[in-house]
Amino acid sequence: MQREQLEVDVLIVGGGPAGLSAALRLAQLQKQQGGEPLAIAVLEKAREAGAHSLSGAVLDPSTLRDLIPDFMAKGAPLAAEVHKDHVYFLTQSSKIPFPIIPPPLQNHGNYIISINRFVQWLASQVEAEGIDFFSGFPGQDILMDGARVLGVRTGDRGIGKHGEQRPNFEPGVDIVAKVTIFCDGVRGNLTKELHRRLQLGAGRQPEQFAVGLKELWELPKDRLAPGTVIHTMGYPLRHEEFGGAFMYAMPEGQLSLGFVVGLDYKDPMFDPHMAFNRFKQHPFVSQLLEGGQMIRYGAKALPEGGWNTIPRVYMDGGLIAGDAGGFMNSMRLKGIHLAMRTGMHAGEAAFEAIRAGDTSAASLKRYQDKIDNGPVKQELYPVRNVHQAFGHGLFPGLMYSGLALVTKGWWIQDPMRAEPGHEEMKTLARYYGSEQAAPAQASNTTLVDRKLTFDKLTNVHFSGTAHDEDQPAHLLVHTEVCHSICGNEYGHPCVRFCPAHVYEMVDDGQGGKRLQINASNCVHCKTCDIMDPYGVITWVPPEGGGGPQYNGM
Amino acid sequence: MKIAVCIKQVPTREWQPRLNDDKTWIREQDVSYEMNEPDAYALEEALRLREKHGGEVVVCSAGPARVQQVIREALARGADRALHVEDDGLGAADAFAIADALAGAMAGEKFDLVLTGLQSDDQGHAATGVVLAERLGMPHSTIIMEVQVSDGGLRIKRELEGGWFQWITMPLPALLTIQSGINQLRYATLKGIMAAKKKEITKVPVAAGVERVQQIAALAFPTKSKQTQMIAGSASEAAKELVRRLRDEARAL
Amino acid sequence: MILVIAEQREGKLNRASLETIAAAQQLAGSMPIKVAVLGATTGSVPADLASASVAEVLVGEHPALQPYTPDGFVMAVQALIEQQKPQIVALPHTYQTRDFAPQLAARMRRALITDVTGIKGSGATASFSRPMFQGKLTADVNPRGDAPHIVTFQIGAFRADAMQKGSSAAPVTKVDVAIDASKIRQKPEAPFQEAKAAVDLSQAERIVAVGRGIKSQDNLAIAEKLAKALGAEVAASRPICDNGWLPMERQIGSSGQTVAPKLYVALGISGAIQHLVGMKGSRTIVAINKDADAPIFEVADYGIVGDLFEIAPALTTELEKS
Repeated sequence: MQREQLEVDVLIVGGGPAGLSAALRLAQLQKQQGGEPLAIAVLEKAREAGAHSLSGAVLDPSTLRDLIPDFMAKGAPLAAEVHKDHVYFLTQSSKIPFPIIPPPLQNHGNYIISINRFVQWLASQVEAEGIDFFSGFPGQDILMDGARVLGVRTGDRGIGKHGEQRPNFEPGVDIVAKVTIFCDGVRGNLTKELHRRLQLGAGRQPEQFAVGLKELWELPKDRLAPGTVIHTMGYPLRHEEFGGAFMYAMPEGQLSLGFVVGLDYKDPMFDPHMAFNRFKQHPFVSQLLEGGQMIRYGAKALPEGGWNTIPRVYMDGGLIAGDAGGFMNSMRLKGIHLAMRTGMHAGEAAFEAIRAGDTSAASLKRYQDKIDNGPVKQELYPVRNVHQAFGHGLFPGLMYSGLALVTKGWWIQDPMRAEPGHEEMKTLARYYGSEQAAPAQASNTTLVDRKLTFDKLTNVHFSGTAHDEDQPAHLLVHTEVCHSICGNEYGHPCVRFCPAHVYEMVDDGQGGKRLQINASNCVHCKTCDIMDPYGVITWVPPEGGGGPQYNGM
Repeated sequence: MKIAVCIKQVPTREWQPRLNDDKTWIREQDVSYEMNEPDAYALEEALRLREKHGGEVVVCSAGPARVQQVIREALARGADRALHVEDDGLGAADAFAIADALAGAMAGEKFDLVLTGLQSDDQGHAATGVVLAERLGMPHSTIIMEVQVSDGGLRIKRELEGGWFQWITMPLPALLTIQSGINQLRYATLKGIMAAKKKEITKVPVAAGVERVQQIAALAFPTKSKQTQMIAGSASEAAKELVRRLRDEARAL
Repeated sequence: MILVIAEQREGKLNRASLETIAAAQQLAGSMPIKVAVLGATTGSVPADLASASVAEVLVGEHPALQPYTPDGFVMAVQALIEQQKPQIVALPHTYQTRDFAPQLAARMRRALITDVTGIKGSGATASFSRPMFQGKLTADVNPRGDAPHIVTFQIGAFRADAMQKGSSAAPVTKVDVAIDASKIRQKPEAPFQEAKAAVDLSQAERIVAVGRGIKSQDNLAIAEKLAKALGAEVAASRPICDNGWLPMERQIGSSGQTVAPKLYVALGISGAIQHLVGMKGSRTIVAINKDADAPIFEVADYGIVGDLFEIAPALTTELEKS
């Protein structure tokens, strides 16, 4: 098929904090140093900047200060300065405050933000520099020549449900670039492909992930002072499950409420969304939410593994920045400032390499040097084993974390080992003692009152997610395990770990069950791509523009 | 042919309504916008007519700065240039104020054909196009399903209720309001998006004397003032009772 | 005085005009109501209209009014308004009204409020309710500026059978409507019928919708029989269309069609919010589901908790009897 080709100097895939920071940094260097103007393009799969951006979030403004010193004057949408931190350990009916706020969770000097509004603002800064921002264009495939990244092919548009070309069919475009910066987010589909082709994870610890479910609530205006930050651990998670919750109070009674669970849990019957509902039913939380209204819902995976799981992030013609590279401090629960920082470094490295006329891996290694010699390693190295320590249980994790503050992360076994999270899930037989002994699967719709707690389908309605119906399903399931062994081995965990009711086992009309994929409910969180115990689900981008609409998230 | 397409920016279909504090308009924070769907079909029709008969397609839009979003999308799909009547007050204005604002900017251009969507997905007055035609001194027809151009004239297919249609002949210049689904919308290509940045968007201030004809006293969520009536009994008893109530109470039969 | 402009085609009255008279009667307060009908010939329409409780029926006949053109009708109605000097001009919100009422209002520089579903108060200070944002919100709107104000009423929002009849026939008066035929710029041909390629559920007056509770494709026949007895279209919630049991055009909900028919019967539909947003504007909603906690009952006017495989056929039988 004849495809159009577009040539640029730097192609940035992903218009989140990392990609936009890379673009802005490139524009700044261009202005400072002059020379032949660089052609720069940013690809973003969402309909508009920020639509797919979801996070807590409490922002460490250090990178923002470096990137845009006059961010206040430029109207950066920082909802509230943090005034008060609370950390609690929850039991089923009570809450126990931590004796001191653990230093990583001390947020003095940080800001509560909506990442969706923040990314919209960053994108407006990028567009003001005249950089092409192509929203509604996902990166579908990588263009490679051997080990060299040549660029990215965007997704075809106008393909019908059964793979046929519709009358308005529009083939994807091949965008070739001297340097491609991959900022396609946690478990980015292109970065995943780079891992496979270039063995980027060789010599590293396996990547680790968590899933975060979030709701935006509107409460009576006097309920919580803006700038209040609350973190909890404990109920409803058991010691074998990693995670906790957050509540960040913004002005006008808006509250960001979220629940994070490690995607390495052992119980195949565990359902993160049900755990989120149980969390909301805890008296501390339900009282806080009394009289309020849920106005938005969403979910996204988080890259939790830390420093030792970060892959090689530079290659011939390519760099990886942001969540796609795993640059998150899971102990501080912060990744936005690191995404921005690595984005800036990537922009600088790309600029220098292009000016030097050499975009090989050897030349682009300067990106790794900036990471190693700067604030990124400085922050991530001392906490490199924290997530893996929690893999041994809640208390070992807490103890190690406390210790790590003093010992800068030293441990007998360094790096601390952990298995890929989806391999931690035990079979029904091993966890419950028998395939038949699995507890009667509580329906997703039980114990919800649709005021405080919601079933997945109702929640997903409030994610604003929408996809053109007439297109093939973008969740690819590669084998027949769903209909052969999965039921007996794991009891179809996809039905439970997907927070958006995409996967369903329905009557096949012949006495059995078949897998139904409700692709248009997908919120692009990547949990299924990560957590399926057989590793047979691949998330590919749906037609550009489809997905959630995370306004205010 | 010099063709104008009037395009409105409206909240997306997935938008969950929130009201402002005095409940006279929507809360504009966190609203996502898109091109009004019938207007997108009008734009597509204009692009096809230009492909067939030559000429230029000019996008005309009235509203605050944010409507640049849909103007640029129209330019990216292939429109040649744009007129933007920029004014914050036009975001919530009724059809008459908007038509007057557009007419002020468009009158000097001497368009051969003006296309609008049949109504907007936000306020839905179904009036802007027709009022605009009157202001521009053009004949009009509404809810158009097909457009044929010949020497100095038009033959158009208008939709009537109940599966009826009608062909109408009119001279040019004229204004048509276009029905959704009349054609297949094309995507904006990457090259189109890049080219759009260089296309001319002329900003025009609102002419004096543009006035609203109606005022929104209150905006509210539709309330159901009814109670659900549960009907018990055996299948045949319940069926009988339901039919009775539908016929006598609800008058739904 | 309220002037109702009735709609007729070839001597047949459009029943929506009776709804408009009913609305005018609610709006009038102490104002008298006159009904006007226009056309080349109006047949027995004036006599039909005269049975309503109105002060007078005005007949404006002119050869240039057949066929209907917006230019012709605007001239005629404007002439009528200048003669009769009403405070309010009321019309049904039909395709024809949408074609000429905005032109009339623009030419006379008077307020026009369209698609009205409710009236608050009465007389010259009444305010009008109309849907906005695809029915997600309702606005109460006041017209501005001088009389007359022009108001169009949503089809079906007021009931033709709620129109009060007069104790005796109202007087029927022929009026002169001066039209300059040379100023009519449209040349319409005769209307014709065409089967629309896709079903348009938004035009259906009654809908029977099925959900997961129908269990299998074979059971659709139960819904189809009920639909036939009701004179209704068949529609479905999302899972039914995903299974391919009914085509996508029959899907009701956030990823399908939004409808607001006179009657919506939901068979075996639980009422997920994605479905509710597509149908909760329906005038009368009947829900049949075996789960008493199904959310569909929250929006239903009438609900039956039970087995649809027994209740739906019983309904069909009952309807066929009457």
